[in-house]
Amino acid sequence: MLSNTAPVASNAQAPLVKGRGSGWRMGRINLEVRQQMSPWYQALTLACAVLVGFAISAALLIAAGVKPAALFDEFVVETFTDSENLHSILFQAAPLIFVGVSAALAFRVRFWNLGIEGQMIWGGIAATAVSFYGIGPPATRLFLMMLFAALAGMTWIVIPLWLRVRWRVNEIIVTLLLNYVALNFLLHLLYGPWLDPKDAFPHSPQFRAFERLPELGFGISSALVLALVFTVLSGWLVLFTRFGFYTKFVHDNDRMALAVGVPIGLVTLVSALFSGALSALAGFVIAAAQEGRLTQSFFEGYGFSGILIAFLARNNPIAAMVVAILVAVLFITGRSLQVFYQIPFAMVQLIQAIIVISVAASEFLMRHRVHWVR
Amino acid sequence: MAAALKVVGVRKSFDGFAALDGADFEVQAGEVHALLGENGAGKSSLMNVAAGLYTPESGRIFVNGEEIVLTGPRDATARRIGMVHQEFKLVRPFTVLENVLLADWHGRFAPGVREIESQIRRQAAELGFDIDPKSRIDELSIAERQRVEIIKVLLAGARILILDEPTAVLTDEEAVRLLTTARALAAGGAAVVLVTHKLGEVTAFTDRVTVMRNGRTVALLDSSATDAAELTRLAVGTTVTPPRRASSPPGEPRMTVKGLQAARADGHVTVAGITFHVRAGEIYGLAGVGGNGQTELVEALTGVRPPLAGSVQLDGTCDATAASAEHLRERGLACIPADRFGYGVAGGLSVIDNFCIGQISDGTYGSWMHPDRSKMRNATAGAVSNFDVQGVRNLRQRAALLSGGNVQKLIIAREFARNPKVIVAHSPSRGLDVRACAAVHERLLKARAAGAAVLLISDDLDEVLNLSDRIGVIARGRIAAEFEAPADRQAVGRTMVHHA
Repeated sequence: MLSNTAPVASNAQAPLVKGRGSGWRMGRINLEVRQQMSPWYQALTLACAVLVGFAISAALLIAAGVKPAALFDEFVVETFTDSENLHSILFQAAPLIFVGVSAALAFRVRFWNLGIEGQMIWGGIAATAVSFYGIGPPATRLFLMMLFAALAGMTWIVIPLWLRVRWRVNEIIVTLLLNYVALNFLLHLLYGPWLDPKDAFPHSPQFRAFERLPELGFGISSALVLALVFTVLSGWLVLFTRFGFYTKFVHDNDRMALAVGVPIGLVTLVSALFSGALSALAGFVIAAAQEGRLTQSFFEGYGFSGILIAFLARNNPIAAMVVAILVAVLFITGRSLQVFYQIPFAMVQLIQAIIVISVAASEFLMRHRVHWVR
Repeated sequence: MAAALKVVGVRKSFDGFAALDGADFEVQAGEVHALLGENGAGKSSLMNVAAGLYTPESGRIFVNGEEIVLTGPRDATARRIGMVHQEFKLVRPFTVLENVLLADWHGRFAPGVREIESQIRRQAAELGFDIDPKSRIDELSIAERQRVEIIKVLLAGARILILDEPTAVLTDEEAVRLLTTARALAAGGAAVVLVTHKLGEVTAFTDRVTVMRNGRTVALLDSSATDAAELTRLAVGTTVTPPRRASSPPGEPRMTVKGLQAARADGHVTVAGITFHVRAGEIYGLAGVGGNGQTELVEALTGVRPPLAGSVQLDGTCDATAASAEHLRERGLACIPADRFGYGVAGGLSVIDNFCIGQISDGTYGSWMHPDRSKMRNATAGAVSNFDVQGVRNLRQRAALLSGGNVQKLIIAREFARNPKVIVAHSPSRGLDVRACAAVHERLLKARAAGAAVLLISDDLDEVLNLSDRIGVIARGRIAAEFEAPADRQAVGRTMVHHA
């Protein structure tokens, strides 16, 4: 997924067919490259892949000592009937949606943003700074926190962006390593100037009430609403506008895109900045809705989850939102499995990985037609 | 005597499309047998069946009179069938020796690397090839790589040798050399199949010819008893008349290039101060042996590669040096690149996307907020039928699945949709069959008649001579000489070779 190679068009031209020799005359497997794929077939294949992934995961959980009935109970019944549970899932979903859409936007133009966590940290720091220094009147405080967070994320992603455009430095390395820079700066703040004077723990002082994202009732947090608004905005931008049309070409063949006059620089710039801003907003919503302060590990695991969500959603922001909610279900259910069945949390990560591998494998069936001959 | 290789009634379809629909073919030991047909006639598919790569849905295969079932390419090698593909199957960072070892089907590793090295040397000497077994594939030219492929196949024991469009990538001189080698192999008792769409090769170098059209075999003839006209009629189904150039006075200079310099990615300066101009309503042909700076010139002129020095003016006054592709296209520049799949289309995207990218920036399909999908679909459907782009079964299918000729038509449809003032066409008919080639030439002449300035850059001297009003010969990144049409073929050819 992280390779930057263009698809080999000339190979795709001739349908590749390979007979697999077998000892008997019963038949052979024949593979053909599909000429086209209907969206329905793609969706069906994807759904089957996810189901296979679930089946393998279920088998693993049962092997680890969870009763099959309990599995169904935890994953399906509890999720959709228990309002407490549903609430935690929707609560958990907001930052996951942000990071998923962030990764999707960057990956669409082959800007491999592995710095989601670094941008989240900066988003958290900027929002906390607005609270810490009491910038602006209380009425606009939340808005300013959000704005500063987004700007901080954009600024942080400008570094790898500029290095890539100007010196062709690989952004995978730069974004990844900058995460450590951001993390150490965060720790410096939390153990130094921003150390909570009340309990002397390494986290920032508690945000005031008007600095926290409010609940809107029915278990819906305003963080979730924000996430949905940004998802719809991103979805519109990349799926319906001319800008989105350009991103397809930058993704598929950037040499050709350059030759036909696609403003590659601008398209990459806008996508990357937007991606940085969304990651930072994920940091902001965790600080302002979940924790109510800046902690030293609020970002952990979100970088990987964002990449995973974008991959499963094929870099489609709307699909990313749906996948992010499913990942949230997995997170929350995993947490209760941990409590009630002593299942390690690593199991949740294992399930994620199994589903990703199933979906990656299904790509083969989407691209090829497999049938028996003779 | 039984045929060395015979296939009867072969059917093969890809995703519902019948590429082969009851094709027959046979080749005798000791002959060079041409398999002729247009792009997409099914020649390569049929040979891929014979080489064990494709499994046919029905049909029978005989080798030396014995019916066989091929389970894969390895099985075909064991039956002494060897194929040299259009796209070479060589591992580039490996040496010649390593590639031959890799292809060795019964793993004769035991005789040792040295033994195989001496086999390669012997085989190369026999064929008159100058190949060092120790050199890496990516250091070799295209022609040399092809020779490595032939050695590889022969050392694996092939007596039935299939060459799939071997001359498409070669210069005239290299092609003659290859075809002479093919004759020598046949004289030594091998059965050689020459897949081609070039009529000249058929009449000059082969014994018999099988003609295919639309997945079927339409004729089997003695090469000496036929001529180009008959073969064209059989392969195409109708006769093709090459388009004629009407004489008309040229207008004002539309593109003026002065002292332009450009370098390859590795820093080597290949365009070394070139100066020429192209006027409205004329085709300026740039002839030259490939690799004399043509690629970098095209890139510098179309905004893909910034030039090092010199200037480019469009419309006499407007400075277009180092302008971006975006700006150049706004000023009416169109480009037909030589590397169709690299620069011409985004293979993974649909036919609609690849057509509409040409005009989406100027608001043809609606505002940036919401381009109109149905408008885009209709425009594409119109262009596909106007420009006779075949093989489009669904406008949403990926462009990479079109054949080279049809991709070229799609690119031309896109580029000409904007009524360009200046057209840069680089090897526009390379690898195309007779009919597609004529269609491309006709489009260029139409653009010329409509007052466009056309810069035609091609290694194919006949193409340049037939279409151009004026001809410049490019050698070592400069214009070596200019000729007015009608130019003397010999004189132009001499300039190309002597200055290169």
